[in-house]
Amino acid sequence: MKFNSWYLSSFLVSFVVAIPILTVFASFFQETTNYFDILKNTFLIEYIYNSLILLLGVLVLTLFLGVGSAYVVSFYDFPGVKFFKWALILSFAVPAYIYAYSLTAFFENFGTLYSILKSLFGPGEYNQSIPKFDGMFGAILSISFSLFGYVYVLTRASFHYQSQNLIELGQNLGFSKYKSFFKIILPSARPAIVAGLALVAMETLSDFGAVSFFGIATLTTGIYDSWISFDDLAFANQLSFFLLLFILGLFFIENISRKKAQYHSPVKGGIKEKKKIKLNFSKGSLAFGFCFLVFLVSFLFPVLQMLYWTIIFPKNLFDLNTFQLFINTIYLVFLSSVVLVIFSFISNYGNRVTKSKFLNYLTTFSITGYAIPGVILAVAFITFIAWFDNTFIKAFEFNSIKRVFIGSIFGLVIVYFIRFYSLAYNGLKTGYERINRSIDESSYLLGYSKIKTFLGIHVPYLKNSVFLIGILITIEVIKELPITLILRPFNFETFATTAYIFASQDLLEAAAVPSLFLILIASTFILITSKFILKD
Amino acid sequence: MADNFFEIDNVSFTAGGKNKVNNVTLNIENEGEIVCLLGPSGIGKTTILRTIAGLEKINKGKINLKGRTISSENIHIEPENRNIALSFQENSLFPHYNIEKNINLGSDRVKDDKKIQTKEVINFLNLNKILNKFPHEISAGEAQRASLARSLVSQPDLLMLDEPLSNVDQSFKEEIQVELKQILTNSKITTIIVTHDSYEAFYLGSKCGIILDGELKQYDDPYNVYHLPNSVEVVNFLNRGTLIPAEVTSPKSLENEDLGTITGNFARPFPIGSKVKLLIQPEDLQHDDASNLKLEVVDRKFRGSNFIYTLKTLSNKLIPVFVHSHHIHQHEVDEKFGIKRPIHIDHIVCF
Repeated sequence: MKFNSWYLSSFLVSFVVAIPILTVFASFFQETTNYFDILKNTFLIEYIYNSLILLLGVLVLTLFLGVGSAYVVSFYDFPGVKFFKWALILSFAVPAYIYAYSLTAFFENFGTLYSILKSLFGPGEYNQSIPKFDGMFGAILSISFSLFGYVYVLTRASFHYQSQNLIELGQNLGFSKYKSFFKIILPSARPAIVAGLALVAMETLSDFGAVSFFGIATLTTGIYDSWISFDDLAFANQLSFFLLLFILGLFFIENISRKKAQYHSPVKGGIKEKKKIKLNFSKGSLAFGFCFLVFLVSFLFPVLQMLYWTIIFPKNLFDLNTFQLFINTIYLVFLSSVVLVIFSFISNYGNRVTKSKFLNYLTTFSITGYAIPGVILAVAFITFIAWFDNTFIKAFEFNSIKRVFIGSIFGLVIVYFIRFYSLAYNGLKTGYERINRSIDESSYLLGYSKIKTFLGIHVPYLKNSVFLIGILITIEVIKELPITLILRPFNFETFATTAYIFASQDLLEAAAVPSLFLILIASTFILITSKFILKD
Repeated sequence: MADNFFEIDNVSFTAGGKNKVNNVTLNIENEGEIVCLLGPSGIGKTTILRTIAGLEKINKGKINLKGRTISSENIHIEPENRNIALSFQENSLFPHYNIEKNINLGSDRVKDDKKIQTKEVINFLNLNKILNKFPHEISAGEAQRASLARSLVSQPDLLMLDEPLSNVDQSFKEEIQVELKQILTNSKITTIIVTHDSYEAFYLGSKCGIILDGELKQYDDPYNVYHLPNSVEVVNFLNRGTLIPAEVTSPKSLENEDLGTITGNFARPFPIGSKVKLLIQPEDLQHDDASNLKLEVVDRKFRGSNFIYTLKTLSNKLIPVFVHSHHIHQHEVDEKFGIKRPIHIDHIVCF
């Protein structure tokens, strides 16, 4: 093991990121806890039951939507296929909670659908015949349409890299299209599909905005309520422990699947362009109809609903200080991106030059942070700061540090950093894996020191990766809700928190303006990165 | 030993925690000498270069360059402070710079009057046409030449080339070998070249080291390595001869049951009556159609300027014989092939 400044820096970065995970695990050993009582006397069973039903529903729906749309755009040629290839990823711009507001607004009594029917057919008792998408079903729909993009993107990449030879082999063996799909195409894309579903599962279990809007008691809302409503931080942490175990299991499944998924990539010489099957008019219309329906329901529907409300209630637009919300959001985005990129660079380079196995294990452990729901991270962070403050700061009679970290931009950015660290770290790591180690060594041998190699060779080479990571962080920070809600300074709002606060006060029309801005900004950034996202 | 330009003193080379080559002692006496290291793949040749460059550490012995210890159990000068260049076998060009910039990076730290002009190197390595291209746009051979150019123009105290021409086209290889030797000699850059091509090593190196079975088996000038190999392993590695049983009959002769009496000068003396293994190299025996010593042809390899016949003796030993390809007639497999007698070998090598 080699101790130097790079080692120490990488160690500190990984250690800070690992703190919330360690805090949650430490809560398990707190003496006050009696897990048997918790199981028996609390809502834990209900939390777990609801979480599982939600998970199952979302997985089935995202599997169908994601694999179905990826298959159609990858293997068939029909009008609009090029448009749908990237249009379908726009669903990433719509957070599940905004989808939930749209769904409710459209189908509720005297909602948008009611208004449409009334204007078309005149006054009537439409409310009884309009289906209601609320409760568990509404949550499943909202989360599925918001997250199916993970399955779509990964499955499409896998289909894209599937060898044309493999498909031709199926044809030579006399397989029908149906048989080819189930015997060849689907099994070879299985690791990618599982990886996509695992991401969906983690996000579903982490979801706070949509489930709390529909009033479903899941493990995540339970954690939030324990802390906010019952002021019981210890119980919040204990619930987090259960959820964390669940999510870490999924994380490992995803990790294993992703490794296998790499086997689809061609080793040398690129890939043979897949011959798409040109569909006739009727089949082409069917394919177009399916893709358009998915695009309409997942993206256009919430955008149009929010736009509709913004137009018919323009006062909300003028009452809202959108400029300040925009500045606040961009301020957080900027700070988080800079901090994440700088520290991910340090950690990646530190791992690279020190070649320490311990550091590698610590980093791998710390990047599991992305699997941890924002609510848990925020609560664990507060727990840690409180413990640190009580144990060390007060013991030495210094001023409390709670104000510095809790309810401050500084604390908020630290928890964003922990939450999105894996995104930045892995993004840079992917870039680093393309730099052969002999390139570093050549640089040293040409007289460049480690810092010069880092600044003169790696940073310029990885600028595209940094750009991509910056945008992905931007999209995530814009949409982020629970961490911002819990840790933001007093009177500091973003588009996400403003939308949530209006919606939680049943002012859905007012939530439309910040929601619309949020979707538009996120969509813009998604379009900028669509080339990269659709690449692999 | 202290006066040598470069010294490796009893160093064991390790990579990934495993010992690759043990107890190596090797000196380069004068600045400007070219030394070649030969050995099979995976034996540790590259590890030796990486260690000399400072990319790996040692825990035994020491390495000195120009009188300064650069590696030992307690000393490790960082690679960037050694002024040693290593041209890697794989493409190690900086991917975001074009070839010209890559090459110029090599000359950035050269402060003295340049002994090697960048332009000269670019010309002889035929890189003019690709100067504006990026590493991913050129072939493996071109990348190797560009990397070689970068190392050359950096004018290091010690230049190390790892299989520098392994990806270069055969047609172009000899030309580059000639010019490389010329430029290295003229500029007096001390060089260690790793290669698996014995002809390349014999041509470029003033000394050759043979690395086998985790040891530096022989370190000598190319002529001696070829004609006076010091072990059966070196013979087998160079694969240019065969060992047949013989008995030493006098200080200048020995007897083999198939070939009869063989005279010559022993490379190492053996007591009379010793049972030995005699090295027969293709050039040792001469063809003579009129000879009464006839052996059966079992194989014939055409090598352009010569044929190598493989002959089977009565005791089923296979012996290679070199014949100029302008020889008036050829012998087919299964034909009888005459060996000139009496047999005289300049250097008798026995084990």
